[in-house]
Amino acid sequence: MGGAATVKEVTAAHAGPARPAREAALPLAGPEATPSTDLQGLAVGLIERLRARGFEHAQVQAGEERRCELNLAHNEPSLLRSNLARKVTASAIVDGRRASAQGTDLSDEGLERLVDELWGAAQAAPQDDAHAVSSGQHLQLTRGPLQADPQALSQALRTLLDWRATHTPTMMIEEATAAHWRERALVLTTGGSHLEKDLGWLEMSVFGLAREGEHASSFNYAGGNADSLASVPQAFGLARMMRDLTRQVRTRPLGERFVGDVVLAPGAITDLLEWLARQIGDGPLIDGSSLYRHKVGEMIASPLLTLQSRYDAPGCSPVTGDAFVAPPVRLLDAGRLTQLAPSLYGSRKTGVPHTPLGEGWELMPGDTPLADMIASVPRGAIVDRLSMGSPGPNGDFSGVIKNSFRIDGGHMGDALAETMISGNVARMLLDVAAVSAERIDSGSQALPWVRISGLNFS
Amino acid sequence: MVMSMTATHLETRHHELRKSRLVMVDGNLTSNLRSVNAGVSARAYVDGYWGFASAPADGAHVAARVQHEALANARAMAGFGPRAALVLPGAHHVGEQKRAGGAPMSAAQVTGRMAELHAWCMARYPSLKSTRVIVTDEDHTKQLHTEGGSRALARIQRAAAYVVMVGEDINGEPIELMEIVSGIGGLADIDWSVQALAPRLDTLHSHLQAKRHAVSARGGEQTVVLSAELAGMLAHEAMGHPCEADSVLAGAVTADLRGKRVASELITMVDLAHHYGDKEVMCPVYADDEGTPAVDVTMIDRGVLTGFMHSRETAARLGLAPTGSARAYGPDDEPLIRMRNTAILPGTQTVEQLIEGVEDGYLLLDTHNGQADATTEFMFGISLGYEIRGGRLGRAIRDTTISGSALKVLGAVDGVGSEMKWNCSGYCGKKQPMVVSLGGPALRTRAHLGGQ
Repeated sequence: MGGAATVKEVTAAHAGPARPAREAALPLAGPEATPSTDLQGLAVGLIERLRARGFEHAQVQAGEERRCELNLAHNEPSLLRSNLARKVTASAIVDGRRASAQGTDLSDEGLERLVDELWGAAQAAPQDDAHAVSSGQHLQLTRGPLQADPQALSQALRTLLDWRATHTPTMMIEEATAAHWRERALVLTTGGSHLEKDLGWLEMSVFGLAREGEHASSFNYAGGNADSLASVPQAFGLARMMRDLTRQVRTRPLGERFVGDVVLAPGAITDLLEWLARQIGDGPLIDGSSLYRHKVGEMIASPLLTLQSRYDAPGCSPVTGDAFVAPPVRLLDAGRLTQLAPSLYGSRKTGVPHTPLGEGWELMPGDTPLADMIASVPRGAIVDRLSMGSPGPNGDFSGVIKNSFRIDGGHMGDALAETMISGNVARMLLDVAAVSAERIDSGSQALPWVRISGLNFS
Repeated sequence: MVMSMTATHLETRHHELRKSRLVMVDGNLTSNLRSVNAGVSARAYVDGYWGFASAPADGAHVAARVQHEALANARAMAGFGPRAALVLPGAHHVGEQKRAGGAPMSAAQVTGRMAELHAWCMARYPSLKSTRVIVTDEDHTKQLHTEGGSRALARIQRAAAYVVMVGEDINGEPIELMEIVSGIGGLADIDWSVQALAPRLDTLHSHLQAKRHAVSARGGEQTVVLSAELAGMLAHEAMGHPCEADSVLAGAVTADLRGKRVASELITMVDLAHHYGDKEVMCPVYADDEGTPAVDVTMIDRGVLTGFMHSRETAARLGLAPTGSARAYGPDDEPLIRMRNTAILPGTQTVEQLIEGVEDGYLLLDTHNGQADATTEFMFGISLGYEIRGGRLGRAIRDTTISGSALKVLGAVDGVGSEMKWNCSGYCGKKQPMVVSLGGPALRTRAHLGGQ
């Protein structure tokens, strides 16, 4: 059932720069004016209904989400959105049979229908002794800017538009958003876990391409979460991405095949880390296909790679989907895998120790300046984005390198088109030859550039 | 609701989305989830700006409240300065889309069928390391009301069953392949019985055995025969996305290509609204979420780029007619231009004839994902393929990726198959997910393969 944990963290921040006097007001009379949902009453009431129906164990979550979002389309402000969403989620076990259900009808009748559906689905499920719910987990977490400030969102978009017009006029913003999110959730289990979070954060994203006459770059995007958007467009690598796009309008195919190096930008590294996360999670551990099932304590990556949690990042929390509070962790310690990451169910199914992971990660910076890293590449490319399918369970992959520049003799050359690399993700993690001192912090992730040798270019 | 004199469009949508997803790994039911998400949204267009609001469908006055919010949000956008308002064109659909399919399967029938498939696979193919059986279905009911007069009831109903076989290659590394059945309606309306799947699973298993000895593809430009299953993906990714009018307005290279040759004259590519011939397609759309009656769009007619997919706004901006392509995925989502049923139309050759014409190349059979670009450069992952040497199939190849410029790849097509295949198992991703279907015949062309 997992050990007890008690964490209490209450912090708050206020978003956005001072409101410029010249701006007209952006009144928002929507969800902010709607009373907050009684999450406690909902969650307690639902767990009582589940017990009364005959379930032996249950986990319930009552949640409310509010979003205020400004959109740009085609370099112009286009839309103001206000969303309010409420839902309950329940996972319940009877006689070793488990089912889960979500619903947005929070009336008595709606909750009763949800419980009935859950009961029918559980009765139809096979028995499995590995099903269980968390116990003894406690957390109350309040963090980030809890109130939307439409003026701060408006200012962020104005700053972005002004910067684009001045610095990257050939770049077309197809779509950009500046949003405030607030997420309240209460999770209860019949094992006595009580996890409560109230998170507010700001989000910014930019998607687009550059165009000159009949020539266009590939699209690219950048974005992230923060407690403030005051540093837009430098934040999240937005400005860097937009500048690079203007240099990628005219491209050349590689036109040859060779084995060389790649300098992967943070956005491309995400693909590698997501594959690693899948490999150490439930699916591959249960079906036995994980390459890392017996690799805990071993070097599975370059000693230059240290990957650790940052559960206190904007919009992130240590709460897992199965109602545990994940302790901070260094998942890769100088290349050494410190643990696997099954859920409670996966752990009971496989015998792998239950060491849950939360949301928010950082790859620790190295000591190589990015410029020096590029200068050290005899032949290869700097790659901002990998366009590829999911690598296979053995790690094999090939993909198109997008928003990329050729490197020859340590010098950046033409922007590339129609160029692919192929290799193996597990091998790439081991073959990291340098990690940059610079990183891009997008909130839920802070990642450097890495240099990897031995990729097939074609 | 009384619309402001300055509002030129106000739409209100009651949207209920029911979904289920069950995953069985080696007989263990690891996911057994059902969900219902019901909400009301409104979108208003006032003085050149949009406002959108959504809320749970939990009260009598929710519609009026979100309409008020949407209008207030649109008006608040005037803080960005005056903007010329467009006259949004198009008719307003009135009609009710009928439910597809019959009575649903019970929970016990679904889990029983999943367990049966797992047990059958493990008994028939004892060398398998693992199986996964995944079933999903979703059922959207959207009631749309526009101030312009639309009163539409639209539905999306889609079910899919996936069987994944996991084995080991000769080096002991995991390999896997997947068989998919998908269609309109619920899980009771597609045939995923053991009896129906048995021949397909036998074929899948023989491919898995071949993949045990797979070799790396040769990287670079190659002659390839794409199976019918892949041609739909090619249509969707390579030229479908660049022909969405919002992408055109954002600078996609297709903006300057209307009326010009962009493909071999063997290629005609369409985005169908609701019928192919006299048969309803897998994702029929009779009216979009702006209330516009949906019409077919021919993007490429015998090699020439002829049209784009439009919302009311992009049609106004480009002086064209809306096509009923503005669709919203969930109750909290605004309509965006999305494909519906995208296909390359069939030709005259058999797959065998296409293969016989290849001296040195590859037959590519299966994919599970792809990505597009405004430049028309596309990619999709290949999970099953074979060498072709001297017009005959050779060794299986390891997982790879196909890519290229759609203009070059479609321009190089020199053979089109006669048999059309459709599927609607995946999602298209573009800010929101979306249910779409893909169709096409086998094609022969030249494209870039990832490899050594």
